[in-house]
Amino acid sequence: MYEDGRYKRNPDVSWRVIEGQAVLVHNREGEIEVLNEVGTYLWEHADEPLEQLVGNISRDYGVAPEEARRDALEFYESMVASGALVAAET
Amino acid sequence: MDTPLSLLMGRAVRASRPVYATLELTYTCNFACRFCYNPVERRNQRRTKPLPKPDLKPLAFEEILGVLDQLREMGVLYLTLTGGEPLTHPRFWDIAYAAKARSFAVRVFSNAALITEAVADRFHDLAPYCLEISVHGAKDETAEALNQVKGSHQALLRALGHLSARNIRVYLKCVVTRLVQDELSEIKALGDRFGYPVFFDPVLTISDDGEEYPLDLQASDEVLRKLYLADGLNIGNSPFQREPGDLNCTVAAGTIHITPGGEIQPCTQWKQAVGNVRERPIQETWATSPILEEARKVSREMPELIRQGTDHHAFCHHCPGLSLLRYGDARRLEDQYVRVARIRAGVAAEEAAKAGPRVGIRS
Repeated sequence: MYEDGRYKRNPDVSWRVIEGQAVLVHNREGEIEVLNEVGTYLWEHADEPLEQLVGNISRDYGVAPEEARRDALEFYESMVASGALVAAET
Repeated sequence: MDTPLSLLMGRAVRASRPVYATLELTYTCNFACRFCYNPVERRNQRRTKPLPKPDLKPLAFEEILGVLDQLREMGVLYLTLTGGEPLTHPRFWDIAYAAKARSFAVRVFSNAALITEAVADRFHDLAPYCLEISVHGAKDETAEALNQVKGSHQALLRALGHLSARNIRVYLKCVVTRLVQDELSEIKALGDRFGYPVFFDPVLTISDDGEEYPLDLQASDEVLRKLYLADGLNIGNSPFQREPGDLNCTVAAGTIHITPGGEIQPCTQWKQAVGNVRERPIQETWATSPILEEARKVSREMPELIRQGTDHHAFCHHCPGLSLLRYGDARRLEDQYVRVARIRAGVAAEEAAKAGPRVGIRS
């Protein structure tokens, strides 16, 4: 787990936010992912410190910081597992 | 079935937010296909009038970068690099990597003849979404009769070997002409050999300047009938489901097309220039062009007009750009699509008759 946050997007994954949701195209695998609103926010700000993002999500969506943190980490783990993100060197 | 992606794309297109763009990099080509529709003289094309002289300088590399930046800002995700043969553009790789750096999903249309092992390695590094490669026959002589280049078919086979060895996604495309009409199964087998699907297209496109010489190569009705009856070819023979409010296609709504000289068109087929990237921002043209608005209107009206225009509407595609080019009327159904619809409806009736009456405990 990479709890400090800050991830790099895989350049082989193309993406755009379309109608408020990030669409990720895994070019090598030919797979396409559509993220929900919170996932889109986390994806767009993947290179920013995790705690800052958690604070924003907690405030904007009215969820407890711990819950926001758990969900964000789960999201980033899944993105790393799919190859869309890699943990950035600090 | 609607997926989250198709719902999103549909919403974007209905709101006229483009997600697809086509960039014609050049009309230069290493082939001389007899049905080529580009406004460039290829050999053995039956022209009735000379081609107009090109009056626009090709976009410089820096101008293309500006186009890519603007398309990204507009939300375009899928970018097609085409030509001519895009690999003949002297800055092809710089453009392709610039597109990757801007996070486009890049599609490249090519005839593959220039794809050596070294080029396949570069494609592997680039990681495009896909290459779409034209197939002109299953035999040397068939392909060469169409593209008029000796050795072209062997070059294609070598290229497909290089690409498949690197797991690069390729879709093969074959326009069904009378030259290839007896080799369709062999062409499918060629795709199978490399693990690539082949998509057959029975409609020929007339030239950008309205010449009809490509239609000289049309396959016969009987060949098209067999095509739609054949198992395992990627044609499809199900009726279309059109719902009220559907658009005919993505013209001027989800798609934007830019020519080598920077002209903006509603799509690849709708050849009217609505502006030039050198004149004003693309978004401004996109938002204000009366021609684009008319193209959107046509797209909204067509599902109903197709219903009124042919008994076989459930099988009838419509390309308003092709109709505009051929008849000067984007709403008029084009003969080839009507013909294909008639043949498809006949085949569907044959298949239904073979299947016999449907029996069930519920009607």
